[in-house]
Formats: sequence, structure tokens, C-alpha cells
Amino acid sequence: LPTSISNQGYAQFSTVARIQAGVLGLYATVRSGASFGGRYIEADEAKGDNWINATSNGITDYNTWREANTSNDTEVVGLWGQCYLSINDCNLFIDGMAASGSAVLGNATLTNNYVAEARFLRALNYFALLNMYCQPYAVSNGASPGVPLRLTGNSSAGDYTLAPATVAQVYTQIISDLTFAEANLPLAYFTTGTTLDATSNTTRASRNTAIALSTRVYLAKGDYANVITQANKIVTLTAPFTATTGVPYALQANIANVFKTPYTTTESVFSLPFTTAETPGTQNQLATYFVNTTGEFYINASSQLFTDPNWRATDARRGLTKVSGTKTYSNKYPTGSPYTDWAPVMRYSEVLLNLAEARVNVNGVADLQAIALLNAVRQRSDPGAPAIIPTIANILEERNIEFLAEGKRWLDLWRLHMDIPAKGATIGVLPATAPAYIWPMSATEQVYNPAIGR
Amino acid sequence: QSRTITGTVTGKDDGAPIPGVTVVVAGTKSGVTTNGSGSYTIKVPSGPQSLVFTSIGYLKKTEKITGSILNVSLESDTKSLAEVQVVGYGTTTKRANVGNIATVKGSEVVEQPVQNFQQALGGRAPGAQITIANGVSNTTPVFRIRGTNSISLSSQPLFVVDGVTVFAGDYGNESGGSALSNIDPNDIESIDIAKDGAATAIYGSQGANGVVFITTKKGKKGTAVISVNAYTGVTNVSRLPQVLNAAQYVALKNEAMVNAGVYSAATVPASGFGHAGFTTDASGNQVDTKWADLVYHTGKTYNVSTSISGGTEKTTYYGSANWSSQEGIIRRDAYKNKGMNFNIDHKANKYITLGMKVSYVDQLSLAAVTSGSLAGEQYATAGLGREALLLPPDISPYNADGSYNTNGAGMGTQGNVGSAYGTIAYTNPVSALALDRANAEISHTSANVYLQVKPTPWITLKTLYGADIIFNTADSFTNPITNYVSGVNTASALAFESTNKRYVWDNTAQFDHTFFGKHNFSLLLGNEQRGTNTNSFQLNRSVLSDPAFNVIQAGYSTTTYGGGGIGVNYLVSFFGRLNYNFDEKYFLSGTIRRDGYSGFGADKKYGYFPGFGASWVVDKEKFWDNMHFDKVFSSLKLRGSYAQVGNSNVGDFGSYTLYSASGLYNGQGTVLPSSTGNDKLGWETSKKTDIGFTVGFFKDRLTLDAAAYYNNINGLLYNVPAPPSAGLASNPLVNVGSMWNKGLEFDLNASIIQNSSFRWTANFNISFNQNKITALATGINQYTSGTTTSEITNISQVGYSIGNLWMIRSAGVDPNNGRRIWINAAGTKVEYAPTGTTATPTQKWYYMDGTAAPAITQAADAVNYANSTPKAYGGFSNTFSYKGFDLNILCTYQLGFSVYYGTQATLTDQRFWNNSTIILNHWTTPGQTAQYPQVYYGDNVSNGTGLPSDFNVYKGDFLKLKTVNFGYTIPKNITSKVNISNLRVFVSAQNLAIITKYPGPDPEVSAGGTGNSTQGIDRNTAANARVITAGISLKF
Repeated sequence: LPTSISNQGYAQFSTVARIQAGVLGLYATVRSGASFGGRYIEADEAKGDNWINATSNGITDYNTWREANTSNDTEVVGLWGQCYLSINDCNLFIDGMAASGSAVLGNATLTNNYVAEARFLRALNYFALLNMYCQPYAVSNGASPGVPLRLTGNSSAGDYTLAPATVAQVYTQIISDLTFAEANLPLAYFTTGTTLDATSNTTRASRNTAIALSTRVYLAKGDYANVITQANKIVTLTAPFTATTGVPYALQANIANVFKTPYTTTESVFSLPFTTAETPGTQNQLATYFVNTTGEFYINASSQLFTDPNWRATDARRGLTKVSGTKTYSNKYPTGSPYTDWAPVMRYSEVLLNLAEARVNVNGVADLQAIALLNAVRQRSDPGAPAIIPTIANILEERNIEFLAEGKRWLDLWRLHMDIPAKGATIGVLPATAPAYIWPMSATEQVYNPAIGR
Repeated sequence: QSRTITGTVTGKDDGAPIPGVTVVVAGTKSGVTTNGSGSYTIKVPSGPQSLVFTSIGYLKKTEKITGSILNVSLESDTKSLAEVQVVGYGTTTKRANVGNIATVKGSEVVEQPVQNFQQALGGRAPGAQITIANGVSNTTPVFRIRGTNSISLSSQPLFVVDGVTVFAGDYGNESGGSALSNIDPNDIESIDIAKDGAATAIYGSQGANGVVFITTKKGKKGTAVISVNAYTGVTNVSRLPQVLNAAQYVALKNEAMVNAGVYSAATVPASGFGHAGFTTDASGNQVDTKWADLVYHTGKTYNVSTSISGGTEKTTYYGSANWSSQEGIIRRDAYKNKGMNFNIDHKANKYITLGMKVSYVDQLSLAAVTSGSLAGEQYATAGLGREALLLPPDISPYNADGSYNTNGAGMGTQGNVGSAYGTIAYTNPVSALALDRANAEISHTSANVYLQVKPTPWITLKTLYGADIIFNTADSFTNPITNYVSGVNTASALAFESTNKRYVWDNTAQFDHTFFGKHNFSLLLGNEQRGTNTNSFQLNRSVLSDPAFNVIQAGYSTTTYGGGGIGVNYLVSFFGRLNYNFDEKYFLSGTIRRDGYSGFGADKKYGYFPGFGASWVVDKEKFWDNMHFDKVFSSLKLRGSYAQVGNSNVGDFGSYTLYSASGLYNGQGTVLPSSTGNDKLGWETSKKTDIGFTVGFFKDRLTLDAAAYYNNINGLLYNVPAPPSAGLASNPLVNVGSMWNKGLEFDLNASIIQNSSFRWTANFNISFNQNKITALATGINQYTSGTTTSEITNISQVGYSIGNLWMIRSAGVDPNNGRRIWINAAGTKVEYAPTGTTATPTQKWYYMDGTAAPAITQAADAVNYANSTPKAYGGFSNTFSYKGFDLNILCTYQLGFSVYYGTQATLTDQRFWNNSTIILNHWTTPGQTAQYPQVYYGDNVSNGTGLPSDFNVYKGDFLKLKTVNFGYTIPKNITSKVNISNLRVFVSAQNLAIITKYPGPDPEVSAGGTGNSTQGIDRNTAANARVITAGISLKF
């Protein structure tokens, strides 16, 4: 085919330009509407308690929302496949760089930069798989079944039967990847000289991106000391909180700026770009799930989030919702067809709240930095709001308000092994011990990988 | 001292002159051949002499010279074993051939109004199943030799024309475009269908589906013979389903609306009756549109073929030209052909012969718009086959003001009103037929040159270089009238170009020698190289600036690249064949071919393909005569063979893991894995075993060929799914499956009456085939398939035949409430109530006791219902001649298979679609036993639209009066006065009648085209055409 390259003799690594395009390809796969560009965020939100499903459409997370998943569900099969497609692309890239690409580049630093990007993305995918398909680390300290750990690239027909690793083993690999990434990613991307390349700094991983993601991973693992160690590298001790080396992360004065063009603020730690030529694809777009007034989901009016007196009418984050009739929707992704709003993976405010939560866990609610961090996020959007005490509940609630429709609610419930609260009148509380708490294993994986178990 | 003898050689049976008869003075090698009018002149030394007359197909005759004129008549050689048969890289006779080859003479496929000769082969040869898939012109038939022999690869045979393997695919657009229509049937000398291992082994990795050799006519020595063959005729559609007229339609739809509770007099204008209502045209008449008459018509067919043939001792030539214009049954569907063909052979000296052939055909495959009949088109909303049936009869293609009835891309509902009635998303077929086009042009060149050297009489060295080149363009336009959507003229045009080039270079050495008088050896050694290049691209343009222009070059606001492809493959082969016979009694043959093919994986580029065969001509044994068997049995030959051959239709790059450089990440190019290859990708292996015999009775007046075969196929390619966690970009093709075909073939030929004025010959052949899949990939024991992704109709399961129908069982209509009863996987009856909701108490789906039941789905409840490929098929042909009259009648039949009549689901759908008159037998009152459920507007479940069900499946068994050809040859004494040596007039008919219980137009149909696993589906397909022609054939 005219635009195809055979892998014979590592032709896909034969020029510097191809290697660079190969790196971007890894991001493009992660950006897919089937995972981080849409479906992962949507599934995470649907599983949480903030939404009411409007369409009962089995294709668009209805079963996830009502906690009645089967292993054949579109979302269950789809995310699994897309994450592993991405993981394999990363593995093929890492293998190919060792076998051929590094010699072509002739630049050890650049080679390590690229491999670090691949390992960062691999870690991101593995963490998403843990989040949706596995028990949290808190359950039996990671001894429960994880997912198959695949670390070498698969490029032809073969026998790919492989048993899952434990949750702890997968965490170890994720942390290893992020550690490598932190050590080898560039400090920042520059357009020329010392002019920061805001676009690349948002759409590609730099050292600080890996550090930021590691705070999420350590927090999920309950390793608070490491959350603090890592966050300290990119968060100053006192407000205004910023990253002083690498990409200069900082909160935006107005949160709304994060969700509009050019989407490349210093708060956007990592976002995935969409353009008129690169779209998330039908039934993947965030807007059709949470934003459209005929969307798949509207805000659960009886949820803790929506009934929270601390989420005041003056809060700028209320401005990121919109009311239509009796229903309230999110408005974080307002751009209609062809849906070019960028998909956020991580924002700086999450790093601040991760650090706050870790410090409270280590030092208690009197921790001054924790208080400052929580209220920095809160008062950024509601400057008149009284400061609140950083109890874990308050931090979680702040996260819930801050990250609505960004795919963090289930992540928080899961990592703390909390019950899923009721969703309106029809879906009751789901205990954390219920079998339906986590997604079942992808049915196709079960059919073609007899070693998968479950 | 010599004298000159002259004379004429004629056939004993018909008295017609025989050109090309070799006349030799007995005991010498000097000879001449008869010219086009059968006469010869030879110089003979003085003294008593005899002349020996020999010609293929006639018994050798030696006649004493008694005067200066010697006229002889030759007797036909009815011994079928003397027939010449084409084999790979050579020829043999039926007697000497150890393989199983069915030969069809060119004369059997001429004068038939077909666009490609394959269409005329049905029923002519045992073991060859030909199914004409639809009524579209020049469609490529489903051609199966001894069953379906692959799952993922093509099961169509390999075609070899005059020694060159050629393209045989379809290059049409919305009309058919069989590449093999470049051969004018008038130019065909013979078609030899190689079926078993011994016959196909010489083609190695390409032989698994059988090989069809087409030999075109060559020049014959003598003065030039000019022949002209012309016919004209008409083509009609037949057996279309009867649909409701406007009054019946309005009554039925309104009844359905009342039942559905959507009918409300208050919402309907006073002029209407219910939501469906009559339309009046400009002259005030009530519209009653017969859409079928607007879609189908009587097509006109013209065909003229001329040829000239002749030659000298040294040089022979044959040239022909063909002009054909054949309209299909669908309006604007047509096939227009202009072809030229020329070959010349020259004997330069005692040792060297050389020659060449070139043919050029320019072919137009014309159509206005999709017929909905070619594979994958069944649900096109513009599909004419479906539109002819389902459009409401109470609307007109025109509005009262004379403009086309359109509404957006669909049609206006006219007299039918109300939101419950809905909108008509189907395009106006009349405006589409008038203004759209979907044409293809195929320029096809085939040529070869050869040089043959015979340094000694027993060595033949030959080199042949051939080319087969197709330039193909497609040109489509959708008009601005039906595409004037929301103020924007979205008319669009499409242009497609492809070049397809194939070069073949063969080098062979043949050694024929007889040792000690009776040990006959023939050794063939050869090498073949074949290269194929394809290149294509497509341009799509839309939103036309000026509706007056409709070419791709006009102004459009959007231009997009519509895709394309580049393909390259190369085959290099070495092969050998050793034939030995002792005294023409015991025959042994061994073949081996080594193929190296670029399409195979890195580890499997080369393979060896061996074949063996043996035969015993029993009637040559002394004991045969001693035991007086010869009194009854005039001949008996036993035969057996075994070979391993392959199917190499793997695509050019299937073995490679590919990265695509076509994606973007925030505007910058990416490189990503796009498909997963397999270094071990190889050919599918067919192990073919064949045993058979040929027996002749009564001086071979009656002959029977019988064969039994077993074809065990291993390493069937299948896109094997890997665990998703392996992260493969696609499912790679892996050689994993296995399947077998076994069967019996009988071919009975009889010369029932043979006298000088009346002759009657008959052929009856029948083939039985059984197919079973024995393995698919690990963890997979079935896969499903359909004609499009919109409807899955077939299932292929381990332990069953490929492509069986996958249907939900039903149990009729409940007389109590008029609802459809299905049977679920557990065998329990489940009723469907269109009025129900998913909430209790009125369920949509419930058991007979009223309790809720899970909805019937195909995935859960369908069963492996019936086989879709015939268990038996064949033909019955009779040829009569009486004085100048001749009559040939061919009947074909296929037995033991079922057809899913999906069109019937279309025709009983309770949306706005028109229905077949069978719907009139629907339930209305409790206690009534009806064929169809109570009509409920909007119900597309009870009729099986989305649930392929057994009530739309019928036995497909048929017997077809396929061809009738009746001719009269004007007596020679009249024609010779105007210097015409032969003048025959004829009438011919195709598909004249059919005996079948199948209620659809034609059970010989394949909505799935030539697909392996999608046979037996009749879904919105245009029926086969009935053609009647009259013509004339003359020779000068």
C-alpha cells in the first residue's frame, strides 16, 4: 500500500523523521477516542455517582453506569484492546529503538528521550487497566490478580497466551517506567532556543509530566511518602504553587482557560489534542456524553457533588456546567462537531490535591501546606470561599468538583476502596466488596488467552 | 512422371466439406491439406497409389486412387478417447490423459447471448458448478470446481488462456465487468477444465481450485475461410414477485396503522384515507406506479462476430473482430464490446516454428446507478433491485408539476401523510436512472509470442512470452436533483483508474521418445516466471457548482482522495512432467512443480507440489477380446491420481507486518503499526485423490465417465484472532484450518441415433459434492458471514459444510392473537408483540404462558439451519439434427440446497415499504390460521428483517431450461450459387423456463457474489434475465 512501511529490516526506524513520527504515533494511539481521548474518561465517570444515564444505550456505558457489566460490553472489550494496542506499540518502539533506531539517531540522549516517552505512555496505559479491571492496591496489598505484563513487542502471528501478573507487580512496572521516564525525558520542549513550546509541553511528556503522573500512581498505591517526594520536585513549598524547573506548571487564574483553545496552559500537564482532521470518532466524543443537552449523561441531582453546600453558586466551576430544562450537564467540552476539544489526562491542580492528600495522610489535617494546597485550588475558582480543613473527605469533594467530567471520580472511589454511592432512584449503593465493583475481564481476552483466569 | 489428383473431402454424417484434412500419398511424407471448401489438389507419382486422409475428430481413411478425381467422406471418430485435451504446457488425448479433465467444445458456448463464456458453461461439464449470481450484465459467475476449496482465499479456478495465466476478476463499476469477457465465445476452440490432482499439479501452488484452459482458434491451412456470426434479440426480467397495487397498499398500510394505534382521522387531511393515501397526477388520475416497470425493461441485444482463417503450408493465421451491444434487464445496464483478435503461426523451416497472438478489447460496462445486486450492495438505498419492489405504488416518480418527486436525498411521500407514516429515504429511481451514471471502461490487451525449435523430431524447445493488461476506469455521477439537500447541491462525481499488468515467460523443453517400440516416454521440463503489477487510485468530488456539468472535471467544492492501491507480485516456478506408457495400454505420469511466490511469508517462499497419476486402457488387453467383452464394451479405461497442490491467492503483502504513515498527531505525521503479518504465511494445501473410469458401449455410441474424488485441504488460511492483550494491529492470516470436499461425478454421452438424415446425441452429467470443515483456529469452531455487515446470514462451523444458513426457527403465526412465534435456542416458543413494551405487563417478547422472555436474537437463538451449496448439480443436453435442421436443448439443475429468500423479508416489512401480495394472507381475526401475522405499522421484526428466520428459507432445487438453440442450414446447392459455403439461421433462448418450488425469481442467485461463505442468499437481488435471440451464421 502506498503509505505503508514494511517492518522488514526495521524500515520504520530507518530515518530520523520516521523515528520521530513513530514517537508521535504512540501518542496518537493513546489519544484514540477508544481510550484516553474519550472512552476511558467516560467509563470512569459513568462508574462514579455524579451522573444519570439518559439513553440506556448499551454501546455508551449504560451497563457500566448501572454496575451490571458483562465481559462482552463494548466498553469492557474496547478499552482493554485499545490500552494493549497502545502498550504493544510502545513495546515495539522500545524494542526497535534498541535494535535499530538508536543507531540511526546516533544520539544517546535523544534515543533515551524517545524511549522514555514510550515508557511513560506504557505506564499510563497499565495504570488505566489497573483502574478499570483490577482490585485496588488497598485490597490485599496488591496480591490480587492484575493484568498480563507485556514488555516486548509483538509484530506477527504467534502464541500469546500469558497469565496475569499481580496488581503489585504491575505497579512495580509502572513505577519503573515512570522512574526511567523521569530520568530520561527532556526537561521541556522548546520551539527555538529557550522559548517554551507550549503545545509540545502539553501534548508530549517531559520530565515533569512523568513526575506528575507518578504522584497519581503512588497515591493510588497508598505510598504517601513517595507522593510527597515526587510532588515536591514540581510543587513549591508555599503558594503560589509552581514547578520551578522544567515546564513551569502553575494554576490558571481562571479554570475556564484550561478548556478552551489553545488548550496549552501551564496547568495542562498532559492533554490529548484533537483537530478538525483528527477527531475522537463517533460515540467516543466527551461532548456527546456529558455536554450535549441531548447527551448520554446528565448530572445526578441527588449526588453528593450536586447537593454539596460548599460548591457555592459563586464558584467559577459552576460556570463549567450548563442547565437545559430540568437537567444539568457539564460544559467542559463545548465544541460541537467535529469535536475538537482536547481531552485532559492530567492537570496541575490534581498534583496539588494529590500532594495535599498525601501530606494529610502523613501529617494529619493540621498540615499547613496541605491546607494551602487545598484552598489554592478551591479559592482559585471561588475567591470568596472560606478556607476549609483538608480532611480526606473535603479533599475528595474538592477533587470531585474540580475534575467533574475529567474521569477522576471512579479513580478516587477505587483507590480508597470506597462503595459507589447511589445514582438517583434506580441504582443503589454498590459495596466495594461486590463482584461488580470492578469491570469483568474482556470476553475476547478470555476466549483467546486461556491463561487469563477469571 | 506424376499426375494430379483432385477431390473434395466431406463429413459422412452431414456431407459438409471438411477443411484442413491432411492428404498424404500412402507410404510417403508428401502431403497437402484441404482448403476452406474441403477440396484438395495433390501431385502423385505414377503407379498404383493410395491416399491417406487424416483429420482430428475423424477416423483415418485410406483410399485407392482410381482416377483423377477422388472424393471421400470421412466418418466421425465417435471414440471419445480420441479427443484432444489441453493440459498444462501441452496437449494430450483423452486416452493418454491420466488426469481428470472435462472438455467443452467452443461450439457449445457460441451463439449464446452471454457476455463471458463462463456464463454458458453451466451444466456442460461434470464437476464444474456455475451459478449466475444476478441479472446484471457481464456478471462474474460463481465458478466452483468440485466444491468450495477455501475459506479466506478465492475459490474461483485459475484461468489459463492459450498458455498464459490471466486476470479473471471483476472490473466493472455498478454493472458487471468480468475480465474474461475479452474472449469472444466465437473465438474459443475448446475449454478444458482440469479438476483432479494429476491435471492440476503442473500448476502447483495455483492449482487448488482447479484450472480452466481456454484455447482460442488458430488458422487452418487452406484458402481463407471468412465467417460471420450475428444475432439480435431481447432480454426480459422474469418471475418478479407480485406486489400490491396502490389500492391494496393504501388499504393494508392503513389497516396496519389502525392496529399500531397511530391512525387518527383528526390528524389526516380530509382528502386522505388514513395515513397512507392516494396521490393524483397532473391529469387528475390516481397514481398507481408499477415501479418494476420503471426499473426493468426489455433490453436489446446485438452481436456481430467475424473471423478470417486460413494459411499455407508454412503460415496460418486467424483473425477476428467482435462488436456487441447488449442491454440488460435493468434500464441503462448495458455491455458494449469492441474486440479484435489475431494470431499467426509460421513454420520458418524444418526446425523452427514461431507465432504470435494479440487481442485487444474495449469494453464498456454501463449502468446508471447501483442495482443492489453485486456483493455488498444489498442494502443500498438506491439499489434498483430493491427499489423496484418496496417503493409505495401510491406515489409517483414525478410531482404534479412534472418535476421529479424528491425530498432531500429521498422521495416525497405525496398522498401519504403524517409523521407516523414517516419519510422515504430511498432515492427516486427514475431520476437516478435518467441522470446518474456508474460506468466502467475496460481496455484489455492479451498478447503472446512464441518460438519453438525442434532440433530433432523428438525434442521440442519452446519459449513463450505473454502479457495480459487491463486498463480500467470507472466513472460515476450522482445527480444534483436527488442530492439537493438543504439548499446545497451535493451532487458528486467519482473517478477511478487502475492498471493491471501481468507478464508471463515460459520456457519448456519436451522430449518424446519411444524405446523398443512400445515404451513411450514423454518428458517435459519447464520454467515459468510471472510478474503482476497493479496500481489504482480514486478521486471523489462533491458539491457541484454548476448542475449543467456532470463530469469529474467540473467545478466542485470538495475534492478528496478516495483511496487506491499498489500491488506487486512475482512467481517463479520450475516444473517437470514425465509420462510413460507401455503400448498405449498402461499410462503413468508424474509431475512436480517448485513454486516461489513473493506473496508467501519469508519462511515459506518456496514449495514443492508433486502429483502422480496412472491409467490402464483395459480394452487393449488381449483377454478383453478373448472374453468377448468387446461385443458390449467398446472401451474401458481405469484411472487414478493423487497430488498436492496449493491455493496461493494470498494477496501481495499479506505476510508483512506493515506500518502506516498516514496518520497525524496534532498535524504532524505519525508512523504506526497498521497490520500484522506472518512470516510463515503459506499456500493452502489441497491433497487431491481421484479415481475413475471411462467405459464405452456399442462402438462408443454410449460412453460413461465416472469419477470419485476426495480433496483434503490443510493449512486453510484464517485471520486468527490473538488475545487482545497481545496488542496486534490486526488479526494475521495463519495457515490453521482444514476442510474436505468429496464427491462423485458421472458424465454420460450417447449417440442415440446416427444416420445420414437424423442424428440425436445426448449428454447427461451429474456431480455430487459434500463439504465439511474439520478445523478452524484454536479456540474457534465457527465463524459467521453475510452479504453485507447489515445482515449475517451464514455460519461456517467445524463439522459442517461451509457457509450454511444461520437461521432462527419459527412456528408460524399464533391463531389466537396473530403474532409471530419463534423458537429460541432452548427449543421454547417465544412470541413477539409489536405493540408491547419492554416493561410488564405487555411484553414485546414472552413465552406462550405470557411470562416475559428474553428477546429473540440471532446470536443467541439461530441454528445451523441448512446447507446453501447444492449437493448435486449438472446438466442434460440433447442435440438433434434432421437434414438442415439442428436443435440443442440444455437443461441445468442444482439439487439439495436451500436459499435464504431475504427479499421476502423486504417484501413483508410493515414500514412504508410495499409488500408482496402474499401479505394478503395475514391474520385479522382470532382463530384464523394465516401465513403472516397481524399487520402492525412499523413492524420490521415479525417479518424477519433483522432476524434471519426459517420462514424466509426455501428449498432451492431447480431444473432450468437453460438454453435452446434451433437452427437451419440452407442447402449447399443454393448457397454455393452465391459463393457461400455455409449459411445457417438460428434462434436461441436462455432461461426459458424453470421448475422449482422456490418462490423468488430465481434460486440460482448469489447476493454474496463469489464469496466462499455467503452462498444461498437472495437479498434484494435483480433476477436472472431471459434472453431470446435470432441470428445468422455464414461462411465464405
